[in-house]
Amino acid sequence: MMLSIILSGFLVATFLLVVAKRITALIRSFRIQAIFLSLYALYMGLSQRHLEMFIVCGLIFVLKAIVIPFVLLRIIRRINVEEDLGLLVNPQLSLIIALGFTYLSYLFAHNAMALTDPVESAALAVSITVVCLGFFIMVSRMKAVAQIIGLLVMENGIFLAASAISGGMPFFVEIAFFFDIFVFVIIIEVFVYKVNRLFTHIDTSKMKSLKG
Amino acid sequence: MMPINNLILVTGQVILLVLFAPLVSGFIRKIKNNLRMRKGPSVLQPYYNVQKLISKDEVISRHASWIFLAAPVIVFASIICALFLVLLAQLGPFGNNDMAILIAAFFVLGLGRFFLALAGLDTASSFGGMGSSREMFISSFAEPIAFVAVFVLCMSGADTFRISTLLAGFAILMVTLAETSRVPVDNQETHLELTMVHEAMVLEYSGRSLALIELASHTKQIIFFILLSWYFFPSMTGGVWGWVIFPGKIAIISLAIALIELSVAKMRLFRVVDFLSFSFFIALLASIAAGLGI
Amino acid sequence: MINFLPKQLFFFDPLAVFFLVVIGLVCVPSAIFSIGYLRAESLKRKILSWVLLIIFAFSMCSVVLSGNMLLFLICWEVMSLVSYFLVVFDFKQEKSIRAGIIYLVMTHAGTACLMAAFFILYNHAGSFDYAAVKQSFMLLTPQLRNIIFLLLFIGFATKAGVVPLHIWLPYAHPQAPAHISSIMSGVMIKVGIYGMMRFFITLLGPGPAWWGAFILALGIVSCLVGVIYALMDHDLKKLLAYHSVENIGIILLGLGTAMFFGSRGKTVVAVLAMCAGLYHLVNHALFKGLLFLCSGSVFKASGLRDMEKMGGLIKKMPMTALFFLIGAMGISALPPLNGFVSEWLTFQAFFSGVLESQGWVKIFMVLSAAALAMTSGLAAACFVKAFGISFLGSPRSVRAQDAKECGFSMKAGMALLAIPVILFGIGAGFIMPILLSISRAALGVEKADISVRLLSVLPAMIAVILLVIGSAVFLWFRFGLRNKRVSYNTWDCGYYSLDSRNEYTATAFSKPFRIAFSFFLLPYRKSEKIRDSFYHVRKFTYETHTTSVFKRFLYEPLLRLIYSTAFKMRKLQPGSIHLYIFYIFATLVGLITIAAIF
Repeated sequence: MMLSIILSGFLVATFLLVVAKRITALIRSFRIQAIFLSLYALYMGLSQRHLEMFIVCGLIFVLKAIVIPFVLLRIIRRINVEEDLGLLVNPQLSLIIALGFTYLSYLFAHNAMALTDPVESAALAVSITVVCLGFFIMVSRMKAVAQIIGLLVMENGIFLAASAISGGMPFFVEIAFFFDIFVFVIIIEVFVYKVNRLFTHIDTSKMKSLKG
Repeated sequence: MMPINNLILVTGQVILLVLFAPLVSGFIRKIKNNLRMRKGPSVLQPYYNVQKLISKDEVISRHASWIFLAAPVIVFASIICALFLVLLAQLGPFGNNDMAILIAAFFVLGLGRFFLALAGLDTASSFGGMGSSREMFISSFAEPIAFVAVFVLCMSGADTFRISTLLAGFAILMVTLAETSRVPVDNQETHLELTMVHEAMVLEYSGRSLALIELASHTKQIIFFILLSWYFFPSMTGGVWGWVIFPGKIAIISLAIALIELSVAKMRLFRVVDFLSFSFFIALLASIAAGLGI
Repeated sequence: MINFLPKQLFFFDPLAVFFLVVIGLVCVPSAIFSIGYLRAESLKRKILSWVLLIIFAFSMCSVVLSGNMLLFLICWEVMSLVSYFLVVFDFKQEKSIRAGIIYLVMTHAGTACLMAAFFILYNHAGSFDYAAVKQSFMLLTPQLRNIIFLLLFIGFATKAGVVPLHIWLPYAHPQAPAHISSIMSGVMIKVGIYGMMRFFITLLGPGPAWWGAFILALGIVSCLVGVIYALMDHDLKKLLAYHSVENIGIILLGLGTAMFFGSRGKTVVAVLAMCAGLYHLVNHALFKGLLFLCSGSVFKASGLRDMEKMGGLIKKMPMTALFFLIGAMGISALPPLNGFVSEWLTFQAFFSGVLESQGWVKIFMVLSAAALAMTSGLAAACFVKAFGISFLGSPRSVRAQDAKECGFSMKAGMALLAIPVILFGIGAGFIMPILLSISRAALGVEKADISVRLLSVLPAMIAVILLVIGSAVFLWFRFGLRNKRVSYNTWDCGYYSLDSRNEYTATAFSKPFRIAFSFFLLPYRKSEKIRDSFYHVRKFTYETHTTSVFKRFLYEPLLRLIYSTAFKMRKLQPGSIHLYIFYIFATLVGLITIAAIF
């Protein structure tokens, strides 16, 4: 029952990411998604009585719901870039595509993995959807911030998938992962800042002009 | 035929809810004002408004025809009728027949909207026309969402928390914001000509007709809140117990609506299409989930 | 040659009788209406009109009743030709001739497909009789069956005005006299639907599931495209013609669902969907007939068809306005009138379809329901526009100002259609069992357990509740309150000279829709300023149009192709008589060779 609530919230947050037209909206939706993910970890911790899950939950909440959005919002403010995300695919079409992904991933989860519990297979389906949509956001949005968020969304999806199938990755892998992500965001922040200084934009679709 | 005592029960509930409806609007306004660090009018203010309007004379435009006079009566009657049907559907276990009754309730709501929109055009004022055009625009996008959400409810049933019903509930929440003219779509509090939707349509009304229309929109709000309560508080509708906790459910929904209204800004009219299409896709997602039985 | 003449001339079954009733329901009031409508014409033209009208009605009846394909085809052709003459009844207008040509070409392209299909069927059955066709059809290969289905579908869909074959409707219907538009839109396009029902369900059915899915999909497209175009159009009769496209779409939703579930053996859903389709069919005949008659009455009174020039007609023509309102409420599916009942039944059919199916079919059904919901919402918006702009407010032109109420016979014609619109809504409890038994007979289902008992009284119940509460409030207002009603100017922000130019126009009303659907409508605008100087604009003209996607991207390329081929073909015809004789000789030799080989 709780799982249903968390999963539907997670899914709605992912769809919000897909329709976001502005950078701040994207980051806010990511924050909502991260909050639901930490709730999910909390739920897993409570149901499986793993102490590590609580730490993971706290880490997700602190890193993904507070620190990373803060860092990203700060860089957006610092480089004073336009709010518009630059959509290559308009929101309605994105939604149709997202819906198609959802259906396909359910079919995949249902047929390929053959899980018995419907809610469990739904969790797997949701996680595959989220990975796909993370990819989709990276592909179809112009600004560099979208690529960062897309990668983080994919990471969220992988986390969900791992815990849906096997009840979670080993604890140290998890921690290393978070450290990785954190370092990645910091590096990217510096990178985006430099790119903006050099080219006065962070539009990745304009990188085509770099080739000779 | 349905048992006659069911009809009596539902009729009693309708009367109770119509009396109770303005209180909900007053309550939402109070919450909003308190959160904005204002004192705000009393919770009973909507009742005072209705009473004041009934005691006043009515001004009618020279251009108006009988449609203008008949519209408030039809709007009121249709919304009461829709409430009746919704409560009738609530008795059942959300199967085939209840789906049909609920769909009929939405059609009945459409009757009221049709006449209100006509009344907006009847006075030869451009504001009225603007309001009717926008109201019909928004509602024609909101209607499919509501229908799909009802389908989902009747496919899954409202006995426990399910992904499908929760997603559909989220879609219905967005429809509720649109249909009860709440903030991201419309704003009940301003009377700025160029942005208002519902208020523009009823701009020419005064006196008892306006009282009737206000009463009708409070009741319409209650209808949507009841719908929402099915999605977000499953297996808590039937029997005496359902009615004991009913005010609590409505209060929680009101709080949520007030919070939403305070935390988002009003959208441009054409952004409403994006808003509602998002809601539509969530409803479709819900129907996929319902089809898979989760 | 022995079997060439069919044994069975006429064929009475519930489906045929149902269509006969529909034809009668619309034709009689329209004929009565035409007495007043044609009053100003000369005697010769009056007689001509009556003769054509009677032939038209009889040809439709015999199409419906014919028991073999030969008679069907002959009557079908008579119907098409007579309706062509009726479309060009005002032959002095160039527009009428043009509309007539478009209609003639489209309808004959359709008939050609029908003929092809009929001859293939005849070839295999060895007879034109329905009974023989029914027996032999099952023995054909699936590919041939599919080809026959597509040919028949194109033929019937052209008559019915299914998108993308709807192109003739918005030309032909507005040009015909009002009572003819009423019959054409109310009944004649339904004869196309009759053809589909007769062939796809009773004779050749149940076919494969994709037939039903195909028709359902085209139904969705038709109803959305029809209503969106209707919203954009401000010519009252053209708007109604586009609504015919929409409503044919809704009927096809029922028919397609019935075929789809019929082929899967889910008879309960199929019967319910078929019943919904039939119900909407008779409803559409009634309210569309009524609305066309009303538009004719407005046209007679004011000479206007453009809504932007009307306004305030409810005060000049109260009865016409009332009838138009009833029709508009019917077509917008407002309870307790008839349109509501049939759309509501269609939703029920979709829902039972959802419960009875798995996988993608469920989503398809939900999507169809969503499309229908959207259509009915947009149709309501469209009729708020049609009624509100043309009948309410204040007059926008002198002609609208001077309009007079129509005569008795026209009123009687409209009333004869308006009363059934109400009765078919409230009396759903009586109509539904009849239609259920017709659909059961058509689908060949012995017994289908459908619990419509409770639900069929719901429209009447809604009517009672509305009436009780409405009259209670009305009486309270009338006798319970003492305060006054004052008449005063409309609020004008202190402008003090509000006139009809300040009113909201139909173009403005539909603007949000135009923008929301701009991806399909491709709107464009032209504006022109005539200036005295840079600062002072003397005159400003502004136009906005939408692109007709089907005309631009389907018909115009096709037409260009035909023209260019025709130019190439011209070389075959240099004017030499010897060459022509050679052609004849060559054909003869060719035929002999073919006959010798095969």
